[in-house]
Amino acid sequence: MRNVNLRQAIARQPTRLLRTVLSLAVVAALATAVWADEPDADARAYAKKVAIGTCGTCHGRDGNSTQPKFPRLAGQRPTYLVTQLKGFRAQTRGDPDAISYMWGMASQLDDTTMETLAAYYATQAAQVSPGGDAALVARGREIYEHGVAAQGVPACSACHGADAHGQQDFPRLAGQHAQYALKQLASFQSSMRNVAVMHGVAQNLHRDDMQAVAAYLEAQP
Amino acid sequence: MADSANAQASRHLTIAAILASGLLAAPAALAVPSYARQTGMACEACHTVFPELTHFGRVFKANGYVLSNLKRVRDVSGKKEQLLDLAQFPPLSIMVMISYADMKKTVPDLSNAGAPGVAQNGTAGFPQQLSLFYAGEIAPHFGAQFQLTYSNSSGTIGIDNSDLRFADMALLPDNGILTYGLSLNNNPTVEDLWNSTPAWGFPYAASNATVSPLATTAINGPFAQSVAGLTGYIFWNESLYLEAGGYRSAKQGSTNELTGGAGPLDGTSDNVLQGLAPYWRAAYEYNWDRHSLEVGVYGFDVKVYPGAASGTPLTGPTNEFNDVAEDFQYEFIGDEHIFSVAGTHIHESMTLDASVATGASANRSDSLTTNELHATYYYRRRIGGTLAYFSTTGSTDTGLYPATPTGAAGVVTSANGSPDTRGWIAEVNYLPWLNVKVSAQYTWYSRFNGAGSNYDGVGRNASDNNTMFLLLWFAY
Repeated sequence: MRNVNLRQAIARQPTRLLRTVLSLAVVAALATAVWADEPDADARAYAKKVAIGTCGTCHGRDGNSTQPKFPRLAGQRPTYLVTQLKGFRAQTRGDPDAISYMWGMASQLDDTTMETLAAYYATQAAQVSPGGDAALVARGREIYEHGVAAQGVPACSACHGADAHGQQDFPRLAGQHAQYALKQLASFQSSMRNVAVMHGVAQNLHRDDMQAVAAYLEAQP
Repeated sequence: MADSANAQASRHLTIAAILASGLLAAPAALAVPSYARQTGMACEACHTVFPELTHFGRVFKANGYVLSNLKRVRDVSGKKEQLLDLAQFPPLSIMVMISYADMKKTVPDLSNAGAPGVAQNGTAGFPQQLSLFYAGEIAPHFGAQFQLTYSNSSGTIGIDNSDLRFADMALLPDNGILTYGLSLNNNPTVEDLWNSTPAWGFPYAASNATVSPLATTAINGPFAQSVAGLTGYIFWNESLYLEAGGYRSAKQGSTNELTGGAGPLDGTSDNVLQGLAPYWRAAYEYNWDRHSLEVGVYGFDVKVYPGAASGTPLTGPTNEFNDVAEDFQYEFIGDEHIFSVAGTHIHESMTLDASVATGASANRSDSLTTNELHATYYYRRRIGGTLAYFSTTGSTDTGLYPATPTGAAGVVTSANGSPDTRGWIAEVNYLPWLNVKVSAQYTWYSRFNGAGSNYDGVGRNASDNNTMFLLLWFAY
């Protein structure tokens, strides 16, 4: 949608009032845009076939992948998915699996297909993962909810939501494969996946803390 | 005298030899960078390490090699009919195998048979094989892997394993999916998706400058590139795979004397299939976490006119080879550690009406059983190795597996008429890049053509055929 970039910019404004006001305006604008530009039934059917028949081989036909190398996409926030797909297409998202798999897969996707794919995954029900090691999950919960003050690591929940379902452009993390989440945190830390905000968050995060957060996220419904 | 004795032996050997030709021709395995260019995805999407396929690779193949992320050249009619949909680049690749093979004990020099001369040991193959691939999509839902190969043993270019596919898929209720298609190919099991069946099984590369055992089952290569098969398949939810079809002779380099063309085939051709030889396959694959497990069954029933092999016309009695096999494959694919194990058990029942009539086999009914098991490990797709066990056992048949004629050199004979052969293969591999493999492979025989020691009756032991094989294998 045309408004995505504006919406992203707004979402990163620090002032809550400004953010709220502008968000309301953007939501209204977005609703209008969605009404005007809503993909037709053919586009949705095509996206569903692509999602199930092509993406599904790795990500699961309903977005609940069983292989931890490939992220779960069910219930993911659509704006986040579109941003990532565009990052793959532009070859700006540079973590190893993005390069190996997604740069090619997204290279010829048009914006409409990206949006309809994102809408497909956003409406799929996320499966609940069995919890991991209880102590590790508890440590992860502590970091997720309160950060690690001594290392300057902020609470994840501030952006990703108390339930880790994501909000605005911040992705859903609940139920994500721990192995995938861990690899992403490492990629943010090394800036192979070059996202300034997440590099700032992860740069002082110890490996065992990353593992704890990842285990906590996977266990969240 | 010795020459004529060997010539006589070779005439008797024709059936066994045709059935062993799959081993003589080193398997020409799949490693095709044009797929990577077409999909924009790295080798690791489809392969653990080439040529072993991952689940994604199997699905890519089942869908007809057509997944493409290249820019398109299109043509459409005024009624929005799609007339053309071409990728901007043709999916061409080249593959080269350069090798060195050294037997534990070289073979006699037949030009000097009867004297103590021996052939030179240590054979350099430059190249052993050079292949050109068309590997990728042709049109929507229509793709191919065509392979042309120059081999140093023939000194010519010929058709190699090839597979032309039409495939599509249908969405089912509850997010299910049914992939279905047709494969037109030239080697039973070349269309298969797993590395447990013969065409894409281990060893992926082997020397063509060593001695091969007399016996192999009909599905294990003897008819490769001399048949054409059409099979239909379904792949339900990327798990249940069912396939059935049939093969017919499609001879290369054979002409009819009257027409001067490629046919009709007559008694001047060897081992021509009677009618259509049915092929069938059922497999189930289950994927969870980083694991993948497949179990399956497959079979091939071929009736063959020996033709020129025994001087008979393409009418009358045939030799029938009925193969029924089971297979499995397990893969663990981690980011650092990759482990797989696969195996197959092939049982062949032979009804040799044609060969009994001409004395080329001693028994009307024989059986042959092949077991193969291999385990592979790789660290970061860079360094790894495979350990494999193989065995072939079967009925004793002094016609099918003949003894060394008086004064002949032996080596490719069996003193006791038994086909029994077994041994191990160990291979280590290093991949400086994912499309370049350096291998060292050693094959041990504990039994060869029926015995461990003096198997040919003229003093050769099974272990004399042990072979060291060094290989530089790359594709671009």
